[in-house]
Amino acid sequence: MSGLRRILMVEDDAKDVELSLTALEQYNLANEVIVVRDGDEALDYLYQRGQFMARPGGNPAVLLLDLKLPKVDGLEVLQRVKTDDRLKMIPVVVLTSSREESDMVASYQLGVNAYVVKPVDFHEFVNAVKELGIFWALINEPPPGSIKRA
Amino acid sequence: MTAHPDQTEPPVRSIRRFAPSFTSGAVFPPLDRPEREGSVRRLWYGAAPYLLAIMSVATALGVRLLLQRLGVVGASEMRMTLFLYAIAVSAWYLGAGPGLFAAILSTLTYNYFLKDSHSFRIAADQVPFYVAFVLFAVIMTRFTAVRRRVERELLQSHDGLQKEVIERRMREEQIRELNQQLERRSAELEASNKELEAFAYSISHDLRSPLRHMVGFAELLGQHAATALDEKSRRYTTTILEAAKRMGALIDDLLAFSRIGRAETRASTVSLRQLVNEVVEEMRPDLAGRTVSWRIGDLPDLYCDRSMLRMVFMNLITNAIKFTRPRERAEIEIGSFEDARGVVVFVRDNGVGFDMKYSNKLFRVFQRLHRSEEFEGTGIGLATVQRIIQRHGGTVSAEGSVNGGATFFLAVAPALRR
Repeated sequence: MSGLRRILMVEDDAKDVELSLTALEQYNLANEVIVVRDGDEALDYLYQRGQFMARPGGNPAVLLLDLKLPKVDGLEVLQRVKTDDRLKMIPVVVLTSSREESDMVASYQLGVNAYVVKPVDFHEFVNAVKELGIFWALINEPPPGSIKRA
Repeated sequence: MTAHPDQTEPPVRSIRRFAPSFTSGAVFPPLDRPEREGSVRRLWYGAAPYLLAIMSVATALGVRLLLQRLGVVGASEMRMTLFLYAIAVSAWYLGAGPGLFAAILSTLTYNYFLKDSHSFRIAADQVPFYVAFVLFAVIMTRFTAVRRRVERELLQSHDGLQKEVIERRMREEQIRELNQQLERRSAELEASNKELEAFAYSISHDLRSPLRHMVGFAELLGQHAATALDEKSRRYTTTILEAAKRMGALIDDLLAFSRIGRAETRASTVSLRQLVNEVVEEMRPDLAGRTVSWRIGDLPDLYCDRSMLRMVFMNLITNAIKFTRPRERAEIEIGSFEDARGVVVFVRDNGVGFDMKYSNKLFRVFQRLHRSEEFEGTGIGLATVQRIIQRHGGTVSAEGSVNGGATFFLAVAPALRR
């Protein structure tokens, strides 16, 4: 394995961010997580513009995407990513509270790589985030062009 | 919509008005006239035809005398023709009475004015003429009667047709209106359905997040302060956790329940026997340490949504297992029989049962008959069962007694049956 890679987490809820990071911390996965707080920021990061103008190039190894986001919502971010030739190889995992079938169908139709419903139970939540982190940051070989850990 | 009399009447009336009058003796049909117009007017209606008969005979006489004076006809020529016309016109247009009256009048007039005698006395040699007058009047009256009958029949069928046309038009109007109502209703329904969906969506999304945080941070608190917390504080955090989890379960169940009403059903032929066996197999791991004797009888094939029906039996069988927990040996029977309602599938257990006086509450949402310390659950299972069966056109009922077990019946609609 080639070590950790960048995880881009798009999550507007500070508490969810804290819980997720806590979960990842327990497995030393928190360091490589970049957190953005809405869809607009996520696109800024991906397109290296605005506050992310100066970031080093390359795509994140995985995009953990909430669906309900301020400004630009998750489905729109997903659509932009999957219709952009430079971005569409990024694995996208929808991590949401919504168990609604319409959201699932829309996400899969847009080409999402995984759809995870945030469990209410803390242990299950920690487990889900941990598994996601391990799988996408360690086990999965990301597409060429992803940011590698130095 | 009820038929408005004003809408049907005018066309019929207008037909009558344009047709000649057939009511014997009346030129102007009194149909349109209010009755209060007085006896003078009524008398005029009665007398008018006779006056007109006199006028026509007088006209015939006048013309005849004029022609004779002008020398167009001789004294002995064309003595009857004009009178015959007058009689014909009277009989034809005014009816039998005025016709006969004209015949008599013609006879007398003829006798007086066109004969040399200048008297009303009828000479024997003239009798055939008078008889001819009267016969002519009678024949004309007969013709008139026939014509009148034919025309009345025509008019009646015309009226009937007209009425039918109007009724049909009204019915079409009604149908159109009902259609519009229906469209409005379905639009409203769709709107409220959309609203409900949005509501369910926001519950599923927004209500769950704070809950997750409560659970998460209570858990973190428990971990962080594990050593610092005393027994009581630990119990408090555990209570917070349990309450939040329970609320999570309630939200999930409620959403699942509301989804049943909204989801489309995908019907296919389902082997109930196979489905029940599947569910029972799935339950086995939960039955460790329990003695359950299953009796699965004959079960029909049903035409229904398989995943929904699965939910029904999942709920019923889970309940049966749950409420037989105090029994050393649980007996659960699943079978079917036929009665007046059609096929009835039942699930029977020898569990704690329930008091029949609460049987009407069993199927309500969040209605529970046991304390949650005794038997866990959110109280939505049977409501789900009922809603699914009702969506398929069937009915549910339950029988039981305290500590005497419970039986749940699903009466299956004929359409459900295959």
